[in-house]
Amino acid sequence: MKKNEPNWLVALRDVMPLGLSYIPIGLACGVLLHAAGFNHLLTALISVMVFSGGAQFLIASMLTINAPMTTIILMMFFLELRYALLGSSLSRYLKGQPLPFIFIFAFSMNDENYAVNYLKFATDKHWQPKQALMVEHYSLLFWTVSNIIGSLIGSALTINLTVVDFALTALFIYMAIMQTKSRLTILVCVLSGILTVFMLVLMKSTLGLVVSTLMASLTGYFIERHLLAHKPDSHLLYKVHDPTRQTAMEESDK
Amino acid sequence: MQSVNTMSSLDHFWLVIFCAIVAFIPRFFPLLIFTKRKIPEWFNEWMRFVPVSLFTALVVKGVFVDSKYQIITSGNLGLIIASILVGIVAYRTRSMTLSVVVGLGSVMFFVLVLHI
Repeated sequence: MKKNEPNWLVALRDVMPLGLSYIPIGLACGVLLHAAGFNHLLTALISVMVFSGGAQFLIASMLTINAPMTTIILMMFFLELRYALLGSSLSRYLKGQPLPFIFIFAFSMNDENYAVNYLKFATDKHWQPKQALMVEHYSLLFWTVSNIIGSLIGSALTINLTVVDFALTALFIYMAIMQTKSRLTILVCVLSGILTVFMLVLMKSTLGLVVSTLMASLTGYFIERHLLAHKPDSHLLYKVHDPTRQTAMEESDK
Repeated sequence: MQSVNTMSSLDHFWLVIFCAIVAFIPRFFPLLIFTKRKIPEWFNEWMRFVPVSLFTALVVKGVFVDSKYQIITSGNLGLIIASILVGIVAYRTRSMTLSVVVGLGSVMFFVLVLHI
């Protein structure tokens, strides 16, 4: 990385993979919202105001089955509850920021730009809240423009949702791998995966994601605390081998 | 479409506003509370396990659970193989771009060409 690069360019470079994977998903979302009766202006508005792929797909599909407004809003509430976790886990990097910054930051935070920012904060000591906000706004720009284009193209585009959705799944797989630093983390991943299936099927809502995340992360925390206190040489605390022998930050510049 | 014209654009507008409000509340308040107060160390230690748990949860939901919250038992072999490929690429290269490109490419091949 060049040392004298301006902030906006650094942020843009880090958001690029996310921005590119937003294009097919945003297009698909725009097409679906258009089919659900949203006009172009409202599609732009919802992309900026709600800024969540999952939520916008849900709204589009609920509208096509004529679900009542209160039902949609209630489902949205449960769907979006997981953002409480994102905010909580980012908070230590945003300490001392003024209220307007927190307000604007929270407004455009979603799963994907949180993932990019969390990784940057965790691996790059020089990563600033200001740059994190830029990452949010660049991803918002990619998302909104793709949504509007999708809305304009409308039904001229045939989309395979399974394929399009997988762009985000691939992004989250990458993020999970990058976060896996000890053998204990692998155990937490497995536990989280099993709990997720169980809780989603049991609760029939995305609240299952929140419950399984809380349970898996708490279990990881207690196991780690127990091991550090009683068995500091446990195999579970071993670091996971990094084949590139470099930190995530340096590698992402390739 | 005729079937979806039960709501006017004004209804849609209010829907967007209300959805934005319920989306904003869980985004804003935890962030506000935890950036203003002193965070206890155990909370930070716990929060270190949140991202990896959440990402795994989102992946598992995408691959194994359908939109009606039922376990997908068939038809997702392509997604499973593609996920493993992405995992290997991510582990070996540590490149986000390459992971997403390989993921999209392989899932297109498995789902659109091989239909698995």
